[in-house]
Amino acid sequence: MPLRAARVGRVGVIGHPVAKTAVVAKAVTPGPSPIAKTAVVAAAVTPGRAGRRRL
Amino acid sequence: MTNLTTEPAVQDTDLDELGPVDYIVVEFPAGASNFTGEMAKALLALVDSGTIRVIDILILTKNEDGTVDAKEFSDVEELGPLQVVEGQLAELLAADDVVHLAAAMDPGSTAGVLIWENLWAAPFAAAARRSGGQLIAHGRIPIQAIIASIEADEAHSTEGE
Repeated sequence: MPLRAARVGRVGVIGHPVAKTAVVAKAVTPGPSPIAKTAVVAAAVTPGRAGRRRL
Repeated sequence: MTNLTTEPAVQDTDLDELGPVDYIVVEFPAGASNFTGEMAKALLALVDSGTIRVIDILILTKNEDGTVDAKEFSDVEELGPLQVVEGQLAELLAADDVVHLAAAMDPGSTAGVLIWENLWAAPFAAAARRSGGQLIAHGRIPIQAIIASIEADEAHSTEGE
């Protein structure tokens, strides 16, 4: 199915070939279960969590 | 709450009030798709709540020989409730963009490309501009990076025990 004619010849907005994003599976192996890691991430972004940063 | 799916698209958006525009390419490997209507429902909820405005949608298929077929959203059969969204698309993407976006796809896969305006961010972005601010960096922190950071912290703590 061809694209609409209006899309052809127009200047694009992406600008360069896109690279595939790292798949989340990388984050869940090896180690604790994905559910456990999800909980850890959720805790890391919980409001009020402080004291971890070292500058 | 304004039901945006039943109102005409915003045609006269003041450029200064425009929210950030993002895109995603969601790939469905061959034989792995399972369309239940859940995605459409979630997308409509974001539109109806005024969180986003959908600007463009394309369906891409990358053949085994690397060639790419692009399908307009309006050519998708049985759009169902997404018919309203289709009627509001701005068709921002150019043919060149299709080539660039498909570069991330694996042969044999199908992908949905979604371009949207973050309406939720527009008031803050406009306020920042009026205050003299200029956007000099933006990005997304991958969940993998957060996990890696936490794990490194934990390992560091363990070493110290």
